[in-house]
Amino acid sequence: MGALSYCRNDFRANRLTAATETRPKGAGRGARWWQRKPTRLDSTYFVVGQSKATPYLFSLPSIILVSAVLGFPVLYGVWQSLFRRETLAAPLEYIGFQNYADMFSSDAFWHSLNRTAVFVFGSLILGTVLGLFFAFALFRVVGRLRFLRALTVAPYIISNVAAAVMFRILFNSQFGMLNQVIEFFGVDGPSWLADPGLAMVVVIFTQVWTDLPLTILLLLGGLMTVDKSYLDASLVDGATGWKRARHVTIPLLAPQILISTVWLSYSTLTGLGVVLALTGGGPLKATQTMAMEMYTVAFRNLEFNQALAIATFILVLNAVLTVGYVAIGRRYEYEQ
Amino acid sequence: MTDHTGEPPFSRTVADAARAVAGRAPESPRSPADRARRIGRKILLAVPLLALVIWTLAPFLVTISVSLKERAEVFAEPGLIPSSPSFEAYGEVLSSNSFTSSLMNSLIVGIGTTVLTIVIGVPAAYAFARFNFRGRHLLLLFTLLPRLVPSLGLMVPIYRLAIALGALDNRLTLIVVYTGMLLPLAVWLMVGFFQQIPREIEEAANVDGANLWGRLRYIVAPLAAPAMITIGVLAFREAWNEFTLVLVLTSSPGNRTLPFELYLMQGIEGIANFPGEAAFTLLTVLPFVLVYTRVEKYVVAGLISGSGK
Repeated sequence: MGALSYCRNDFRANRLTAATETRPKGAGRGARWWQRKPTRLDSTYFVVGQSKATPYLFSLPSIILVSAVLGFPVLYGVWQSLFRRETLAAPLEYIGFQNYADMFSSDAFWHSLNRTAVFVFGSLILGTVLGLFFAFALFRVVGRLRFLRALTVAPYIISNVAAAVMFRILFNSQFGMLNQVIEFFGVDGPSWLADPGLAMVVVIFTQVWTDLPLTILLLLGGLMTVDKSYLDASLVDGATGWKRARHVTIPLLAPQILISTVWLSYSTLTGLGVVLALTGGGPLKATQTMAMEMYTVAFRNLEFNQALAIATFILVLNAVLTVGYVAIGRRYEYEQ
Repeated sequence: MTDHTGEPPFSRTVADAARAVAGRAPESPRSPADRARRIGRKILLAVPLLALVIWTLAPFLVTISVSLKERAEVFAEPGLIPSSPSFEAYGEVLSSNSFTSSLMNSLIVGIGTTVLTIVIGVPAAYAFARFNFRGRHLLLLFTLLPRLVPSLGLMVPIYRLAIALGALDNRLTLIVVYTGMLLPLAVWLMVGFFQQIPREIEEAANVDGANLWGRLRYIVAPLAAPAMITIGVLAFREAWNEFTLVLVLTSSPGNRTLPFELYLMQGIEGIANFPGEAAFTLLTVLPFVLVYTRVEKYVVAGLISGSGK
């Protein structure tokens, strides 16, 4: 029954393309399906039994949805950053780049840029070092210990809020596991989340914890594709252990390190969930990153157009940083 | 993918050759020195792995520990293993209205996003992979967009647009937004997968009289099932975990998802209810962990291919 119904459809679809296709003899409209010869198959347009509209019908819904959810709002946001409402009830008026001028002249913005720099580069360094360390460790893992690779991904399936709750418990000054370990050595543990200097450390650790699975998997994937002959050659030359990692393996991993750097930087620069759920920008605005600043300006001060200027700045900064990483990364790649 | 069983044989011969060049005798595999070195290497390997396990599991363990205590006990007995474990906090959370309704919402939004992503994404990926048509170059844009457009950049515009469209505080809005955010990744993954399915199979089916629908239904879909599971899981994860957009797009208690409710829980309790928060967190995590353990390899595959290219 199934086969018959295809052929009916096939026949109908062929009729749709009748004007554009030259059909072999016997494929005519009147031929029954068992009499018809198969249409000539073309390598790029081989799919017979379809109309020219098929690919458009197939891809259009997703193109429309992505444009509506990702494309249009961003353009709309950039456009709206050129407007302002004096009060919530007042009409929108075009003010050119005044929102950007206000942004660059506000202390809060420069403070948040400073905090963002600490957050992004702190996370980058911690994430890359830990990622390499764990990737090298996992690379050697075989047999029964394979489940460790699966375990590594666990933080990835947790929401930012859940991670924030967990780290608040872990870093709690009174009963947190970390301070108990510190007190075991006879030193009083600090109150991590109340101290402006240390709160950023907790935020960085939490962010890196949620982002590390991807970094590890990327680097692990890179390690697996490294050409063994390079490593063997380096062994002949007497390079072992740290030396080999430093001068041979890590340079060979440059492409993967570059990708993970771009990704970590993107994730921290635009990451709001962890900061918002863990500290909310406090204490004393010590963790007020640009993402937090944008959220505060928009949803606490209700200055949406001003917030859009900050959001646009973050998008541009992200693009600039990405280009920068790629330019730096190019220099360290081996010339093949 | 090949296994890496420590030092492969080739490297072993190379190592011996290196020793020979250095004027030392090749080591017999059973010599005491070799055994000592092997044990030493095992220990050297175990330390970083132990660090990895502690790094990954410590936050979970302390949370489980706190969730099994009573409120006062958290401060009085800070040890990792509770002396008298109680499931009171779990009962409290499970019977609370905020948990049950947000769990329901998370399930609805999660399943809706998963279904919509597959229904819209798979045909698009098939078109991009198999057809030569005007607009194929949009595929590149598809892959670039999520890199350029973080959800942070969407918060304010989507919030304003949702107000304008009267779509605020609506589960359907969340489903549509999450699907739009996931589609580029989903399409990208599926295109790669479809391109791996040999054309010859479809050509053969075509010769046998299968039309486009028949090929999709009986040949492409079964072959692409692993990729569909991957994007399904990724879509569900996005909807289940997403926090910042649901925070601004939703207001009434009836429409909040789990992360939003968990976030509010931290603020509402006057004196922090640590066991309650911990239990809520673990109950949020649990359903996805159950799903995850079944489809782990797909998630990992999706993770790698989604970020790398």
